[in-house]
Amino acid sequence: MFWQQLVNGLTVGSTYSLIALGYTLIFGVLGIINMAHGQIFIFGSLVGLVLMTSMQMPLGVALIASIVISALLGLLLEYAALRPLRKKNVPHLASLISTIGFATLVEEAMHKFFGADSRAFPQSFGDKAFDLGILQIRSVDLVILGISLVLMFVLHFWIQKTKMGKAIRATAENTDTANILGINTNMVIIVTVMLASALGGVAGILIGMAYSALIPTMGMTLGFKGLAVLILGGVGSIPGAMVCGVLLGIIEVFTVAYGDSSYRDAVAFGLIIVILLLKPEGLFGRKA
Amino acid sequence: MDILNPYNLQVLTFILLNSILAISIYITLSTGQLSLGHAGFMSIGAFTASILTKQADMPLFVAILIGGLAAGLIALLIGAPTLKLHGLYLAIATLGFGEVIRVIFLNMKITNGALGLTGLQSIGNYLYDFEKAMGLKAQAVGVSVMQMKSLSTFVFMLLLFLVILFLTLRLNRSRLGRAFEAIKADETAARAMGLQVAYYKMLAFIIGSVLAGICGGLFAHITTTITPDDFNYHKVVEILSYAVIGGSEVVWGPLFGALVLTALPEVLRGLAEYKMLMYGLIMVGVMAFRPHGLIGTDTFQKLFRRRKGKTGNEAKEGM
Repeated sequence: MFWQQLVNGLTVGSTYSLIALGYTLIFGVLGIINMAHGQIFIFGSLVGLVLMTSMQMPLGVALIASIVISALLGLLLEYAALRPLRKKNVPHLASLISTIGFATLVEEAMHKFFGADSRAFPQSFGDKAFDLGILQIRSVDLVILGISLVLMFVLHFWIQKTKMGKAIRATAENTDTANILGINTNMVIIVTVMLASALGGVAGILIGMAYSALIPTMGMTLGFKGLAVLILGGVGSIPGAMVCGVLLGIIEVFTVAYGDSSYRDAVAFGLIIVILLLKPEGLFGRKA
Repeated sequence: MDILNPYNLQVLTFILLNSILAISIYITLSTGQLSLGHAGFMSIGAFTASILTKQADMPLFVAILIGGLAAGLIALLIGAPTLKLHGLYLAIATLGFGEVIRVIFLNMKITNGALGLTGLQSIGNYLYDFEKAMGLKAQAVGVSVMQMKSLSTFVFMLLLFLVILFLTLRLNRSRLGRAFEAIKADETAARAMGLQVAYYKMLAFIIGSVLAGICGGLFAHITTTITPDDFNYHKVVEILSYAVIGGSEVVWGPLFGALVLTALPEVLRGLAEYKMLMYGLIMVGVMAFRPHGLIGTDTFQKLFRRRKGKTGNEAKEGM
């Protein structure tokens, strides 16, 4: 039972990590919290899911569609809500509010296009389970864990080693200086926002696989969880987002298994409040 | 008497209620703190007041006041540690607080879970009982009983709103208001000037929360039905948009926001379905073109200066 729950927690938690990475990337480069992240990626995932169910597309196509749609919504966010606010003399909370507005827009659009009902996710991998004695791993769990871990490590190395990764880190350090040194910071920001949203799109599809359903309102709940992970791990810390996402998943699953399932959605924010009281810079954060 | 039908009066009453909410977020924002927990404080006020009137038979207005104080007490408890946080951290922490409160209310027995509380005392009935006791019957005024009840609620809300507005304006001109303004402009400088920044921020947070709690109690006893979901994230966005769209520099901004955003869906009845869509569009648009909100300190200054400029020109012409 314990090991089984641990695996479930790892699976769910790895998707939370992907969501939190989206927040972290945007915060790192732009210094803002993108409150529309949850709505953006669940919109993309729903498009992917509809392609799968109504057009019988394979999972791979749905995944790519979801990535593309999420990334495009990210692009729209950048032009509609972020770029106009990147001038002097704008109150620092304006961008937060503007992304909340964008989130409301996407949420409403979602209601118009997909309705409010939960949508079943087709079982692509059957119910094959590997019996490991103390625990059973479903093949779905393996796929979810595999995709998330590979993506996280690719992202890590991409940011550390490639030229674009270096440009992103330079912009995150200081946008003005990076601009003077010949980095096209506007381009970097566009790439970051689209990348963050695309990661969310993947997470959305994986979550659909884990829960075997997607609900439009999930965008908000999952967005909040990603936000919680962002704060837990220390705002702007990529390893923090990865580790704390998994941690939150595990704690949540154990709350449901050994405690009261109705408090599931309060766990994330309960943790935030505790961590903000004890260690406001987060588990992996640098002291401001 | 057609204008005074219960529906119109209800809309007007809600404009006033939302205006008080707008003031509550304005006061918290006037020290530069963005609290996303106002819906949480509203729900504390609402549930405290309704349980007190429903289960303990407490007089309505006493219960609403206690609801507000309960919200203030919780604000004191969670404010002490969280107000050390800045900007975004505070926003997320208070947002989290609101969600935790909502989940707790969803699971409590006394709040009746997701179904919420129904059949609460209505302010209209309560006031009408008073009026009857004083010998003022609806027939005497020439309106139906329903109208009389709605009218009493409206008049009561109007008086309450005017009192709160008057107090807010007084607050702005007082030592306290200037301290708030100094902290908003530059916290470090304010601290260097010897202001007890933590104390003033806490005070603003508590005043805002008490007002939100009172609004919760009023809301519960105007609609007579509440569920924990009345105070979810959408409510937060709604309250926030009053201050953000109207502008949060002067108190007229949030009031203008509350007026426009409450009235708009009612005036454009056919578009009521797109209410949240409009809120979103307006939020993004206003932030892009006027990030300080529609009404700022400069709005009145410009008007004033123009008038001043005119008289200046006239004076020149006279010479």
